[in-house]
Amino acid sequence: METSDSECFESADEEFYPESNNKKPQKQESIASVVEQIEELKVVATTTTVEEQPTKEIKNKTVKTNKLGVKVNKVSPPTETKEIPETINKNEETIPEQSKDEINLWDDDDDWEPVEQETKSIPTNLGWSSWGNWDVTSLLNTASAGVTTITNHVSHGLTSVLESGIGAPDPEELARINSSEKPKFEDGNHSEPINLSFGLSNFVSGVTHITKLVETTGNKVVKGGLDTLETIGKKTMEVLQEGDPGFKKKRAFLKINSNKPVLSHILREAKEKAEVENKLLEERQFARKANYESLFDDHQGLVHLEALEMLSKQCDIKLQSLLESLTGDDLIELQETMNQIEELCELVDDDDELEDTSQMKEKLDGAVSEMHINISYEKLLNTWSEAEDWLRNINLAICSEVELHEQAIDTLAQLTALAVERFHKIGELLLVKEHRSTADEADSLVQLTVTVTTLISHVATKLADKFNEKLTTSTYKDEINKLITNIYFESANSISYIKNAFQLLIPVLQVGAI
Amino acid sequence: MSYAYLFKYIIIGDTGVGKSCLLLQFTDKRFQPVHDLTIGVEFGARMITIDGKQIKLQIWDTAGQEAFRSITRSYYRGAAGALLVYDITRRETFNHLTTWLEDARQHSNSNMVIMLIGNKSDLESRREVKKEEGEAFAREHGLVFMETSAKTAANVEEAFINTAREIYEKIQEGVFDINNEANGIKIGPQHSPTNPSLPGAGGQGGSQGGGCC
Repeated sequence: METSDSECFESADEEFYPESNNKKPQKQESIASVVEQIEELKVVATTTTVEEQPTKEIKNKTVKTNKLGVKVNKVSPPTETKEIPETINKNEETIPEQSKDEINLWDDDDDWEPVEQETKSIPTNLGWSSWGNWDVTSLLNTASAGVTTITNHVSHGLTSVLESGIGAPDPEELARINSSEKPKFEDGNHSEPINLSFGLSNFVSGVTHITKLVETTGNKVVKGGLDTLETIGKKTMEVLQEGDPGFKKKRAFLKINSNKPVLSHILREAKEKAEVENKLLEERQFARKANYESLFDDHQGLVHLEALEMLSKQCDIKLQSLLESLTGDDLIELQETMNQIEELCELVDDDDELEDTSQMKEKLDGAVSEMHINISYEKLLNTWSEAEDWLRNINLAICSEVELHEQAIDTLAQLTALAVERFHKIGELLLVKEHRSTADEADSLVQLTVTVTTLISHVATKLADKFNEKLTTSTYKDEINKLITNIYFESANSISYIKNAFQLLIPVLQVGAI
Repeated sequence: MSYAYLFKYIIIGDTGVGKSCLLLQFTDKRFQPVHDLTIGVEFGARMITIDGKQIKLQIWDTAGQEAFRSITRSYYRGAAGALLVYDITRRETFNHLTTWLEDARQHSNSNMVIMLIGNKSDLESRREVKKEEGEAFAREHGLVFMETSAKTAANVEEAFINTAREIYEKIQEGVFDINNEANGIKIGPQHSPTNPSLPGAGGQGGSQGGGCC
């Protein structure tokens, strides 16, 4: 208790004498003026003289300090309000450190011991003893009042928050509690004069009372805090466990969110946003622009991506629970295997995108054959050759740039949807395959990804070429340039979706290796 | 295509009971007697109207083969409706219903509407499971029941639409939280509360003709 009290004391000193030694002369001046004022007051209001007994002197002094206190309060109210919470904090901080033995000491031994120490600390302030007294009482009072109200408010706030079903206190709520706290400190100051008129003995017992009060409220804070934390914890667990024993679903769910945003969700949002925008455009009699996400969804790319994500997640959960069950060398070995597979699946970023596309079919068939599953890329190849036919036969004189753009975006969306669908199907087939050969599978998938993304780049370039032809004859050069940019943009999107689908297959490969 | 809601359905049941045929009949209004075995999951989608609202049904047609069982289970999550199908001419497909039901209940949300379907009602002469048995099973497990024929299209439309109606009612009653996508319901773009800045987009008149070709 002594430490905390003196800390209070010191901090109070700091408050009034920010740079204590240097500022003291100034303070003395102001005190002197106050003394003058008080002397005037004496003439008017009191019959006391200086020669009278020490107790009266103390009374006078307390009056002085009272006056002074009011004055200081008026001079620097902002620092007052700022500083007091700090002293409260100090109280709170020191209280947990105080062992219960100390409390017992107080009860068993005579109650005066700590009080004497209290009074001892007062003379250290020399001429300012009464000044210091005021500090201690007022600060302790305000501190204890503050702590009590804080405990009440906080615990009340927390329970009400808990009752409203949220697991943790809302920051706004806490901020509101804090701000409602401030007037309370001022109240504490106003009640000060009553305490001061009690004289020294009263004051001393007051200090004991207050120190005990601080201690008990401190304990209350700690206990209440722990109780609240426990309640929060229990409540959180209850809410989390509701209908989900063992957190199976939650684990899966959290996993989704912690890792990365789910692409299909983002795409769906983008699609919906675009649909709304399109509607607006329609209403304004503008030509409707082909939307990639909508078309990708129409070709069932989105739902296949979603299903692939679910499959991938399932495999991931399986791997994680296996990793959790292992220890020691087994764990290290498994982790190494996982890492090796990831390394096998690293795509080399080569920018020479215009590879030879003439042997596309052979390349795809060759890549697939390594996996030993029954899957064909016929549909993708057919769609691609249809697109090539269309591009060859297109009459640019008749086909408007808007039509051309719509068709181009649709081609990209359809090819991408088919590629994603194939990856999803490959994932399913690999999971039911009897004998897995992870290294071959990884190699095949890398080849497939590279080949398909090359195809997309190739198609995008061809589509853009058509626009460039159009550009030479058209007067809407800006418009066409925008459309070309859009084609390249969406082809880049296509490629990233395909690469994402490939990434989703990595856990499928890893599951095959265990 | 713009819609007020999107419902996710799953179709489950033993292999060969006609799950993919039911889907094809519903989405394309045709019957294909010889069908490739479904691998993992295939998809179908169709727009229906309930209570004047456009609803998109997104149907996940799962493989019935035992080998795909563990895979298809991972697709149950987030379905608002399930069609649990058996073949009235093969008793074992009826006997396996309990297993399917347990699976479905375990891997999907508890509010999922489950429709029990006895398919191939056109093959009356080869019937092994009485209609009453199907009804009794449905009653016992709190399911909706219907006998259908993917071949003649009898009750196919009804099976899908009645399930949707049931889900729609649950939404109205507030059983389904439509903002939680785990329930298998998505709100259509024009109803999306995330776009309050576009009041013109919600125009009901325009929503019918919207969407792309």
